[in-house]
Amino acid sequence: MSTRSRPVYADFDKRKSLDDLASFVTDGDIIAVGGGLSSREPMALLRAILRRGTSGLTAVGSAHGIDIDLLCAGGALSASAESYVGFEQDFGQAPNYRRALESGTVKAEDSCCYTLVQQLRAAIQGLPFMPMRSVRGTSFLSLHPEYRRMVCPFTGEELLLVPAIEPDVALIHAQYGDARGNLVIQGPPVADTLFAKASRVVLATVEEIVPTQRLGELVGISIPYFYVTAVSEVPMGAHPTACYPFYPYDRAHTALYYEAARKGADVFHAEYLDIFVHGAAEHTNYLARIGGEATRKRLVSWSDGPEAWKLLYRDEAMA
Amino acid sequence: MTITCSLGEMMIAALARTIEDATLVFHGFGSPLIQLAMHVAKRTHAPRMVLVAGATYGIDPDPPFLTPTTNDWVMDRGATSALDIEELFDLAASGRLGRMFLSGLQIDRWGNCNVTTLGYPDIKLKLPGGGGGCNLSCDVAHLTLWTTAHRAQEDAEGRRRFRLIEGCDFITNLGHRTWDGKRTRDLGHRGYGPQWLVTELGLFDFANDGHMRLKALYPDISLDEILENTGFKPRLASEIEIIPPPEQSVVEFIRRFDPLKIHEKELRAEDIRRRFSIA
Repeated sequence: MSTRSRPVYADFDKRKSLDDLASFVTDGDIIAVGGGLSSREPMALLRAILRRGTSGLTAVGSAHGIDIDLLCAGGALSASAESYVGFEQDFGQAPNYRRALESGTVKAEDSCCYTLVQQLRAAIQGLPFMPMRSVRGTSFLSLHPEYRRMVCPFTGEELLLVPAIEPDVALIHAQYGDARGNLVIQGPPVADTLFAKASRVVLATVEEIVPTQRLGELVGISIPYFYVTAVSEVPMGAHPTACYPFYPYDRAHTALYYEAARKGADVFHAEYLDIFVHGAAEHTNYLARIGGEATRKRLVSWSDGPEAWKLLYRDEAMA
Repeated sequence: MTITCSLGEMMIAALARTIEDATLVFHGFGSPLIQLAMHVAKRTHAPRMVLVAGATYGIDPDPPFLTPTTNDWVMDRGATSALDIEELFDLAASGRLGRMFLSGLQIDRWGNCNVTTLGYPDIKLKLPGGGGGCNLSCDVAHLTLWTTAHRAQEDAEGRRRFRLIEGCDFITNLGHRTWDGKRTRDLGHRGYGPQWLVTELGLFDFANDGHMRLKALYPDISLDEILENTGFKPRLASEIEIIPPPEQSVVEFIRRFDPLKIHEKELRAEDIRRRFSIA
């Protein structure tokens, strides 16, 4: 619980291989997956976790997509407490997530963004719970019998108390980091800073490991090294989600993923998992399978300006 | 010269009209019609609106074009600053957020929305989940609901599936009555709940007791069509109006801003073909 004291990671050099990072995640852990929707999700690390056959995980988080859908397909999850899992208007509902939750192999423990924020804040502050006004009157109270009500001793109004969530492991993909585990996130941090502060173990993949001095010159949100357990340099580690300024959302690869997922669990296993997850023992194998340098070049063309950027999202670009 | 507009453009204009000037307004993800409506409002009657973009939490962005997903750097180009997730939700909890837009795969007569599951506690069809909608439905001052699937369709077994129904299987986003029939205004939430519902068939508001009430129709929709496609008997306003089309400049803005026609992904094929005169 949140009253346990939390570790401080002080080593000078925390660089590890991707597989070493994955080995920190053990069966039954509560995991907080960073990024959100089509952006900066730690996809390479999730694939490494799936290759190890880790299972029984509970995922907590806000609005997610392909990351949680992939974990459902790969048999790693036993419960999902995400607030949303889907492909938005682009492809719609998440097929593997739906199958897993409808069959009951993954338990639906849906939450809401602010509820999660308050629960993480309790953990960050070492408190057992946080109060809030919202949620009362909705069906989430029956889905989460652990929530409690109290009458505020100061104002007399009724409040909802939500217990601290202290994830066992946070999985984060950032643009930059240094050898000691300092991280810089550029663009929307989603819930990553909350995850880093609330979790017992923080595993980070980064596009580039740079000298600490250079890190200080970069614009972005910093996560101090002492939260971070281990770090690994994994270029294109968020693919097929975006990690700007390096690359945007790979809509064509996501379409391929979605098409395989839509056809059913067996087809998805044969046409996606066996090729891009279990069939790619190293991240370099994965990069080759998604099209290598040609794919990277196609994606980095976003930086040529709005017209090039737009072209990447046209339906005819999917072929 | 543009002389007709599409249903999507009619809906965007109707949604934009629910936004007041000088208020803090937020859109979620997976909702291109709402993104467009907010940018339309800011360029017409609500120039002082504080526009907070969903997923990126950028303030007053001026994106070059609408993208197929919401958390994309395209969407926060030109933003003057950005919030983080806790700040956005704190704004709602402390009473600063003026309007939010919510939807559901089931919407009941009190404006409750279900985006969590069809069938509960036994899940028949798992829906994607509501993001922060549950919290915001309680905390945000006013809500505009919308759906592009009011027209009831037949499921695989030939049963008509209503989007607007008597009661939700699961209440994800709070309307004017709780699951056990209590008035939500007695719960002491910050927000006043759903104020408008815009569908592809018409426009509803909510009566004093919180019940959904038909207010206006699109020019090509009859009252009978509304009643046939609604799973309960809606109240009727004393005079049912016709939803007006957008100005030509608004239609032109929408077409410039959404060259990839992302908003049409929210619409059914038969509705994409509908045309309305703006002359």
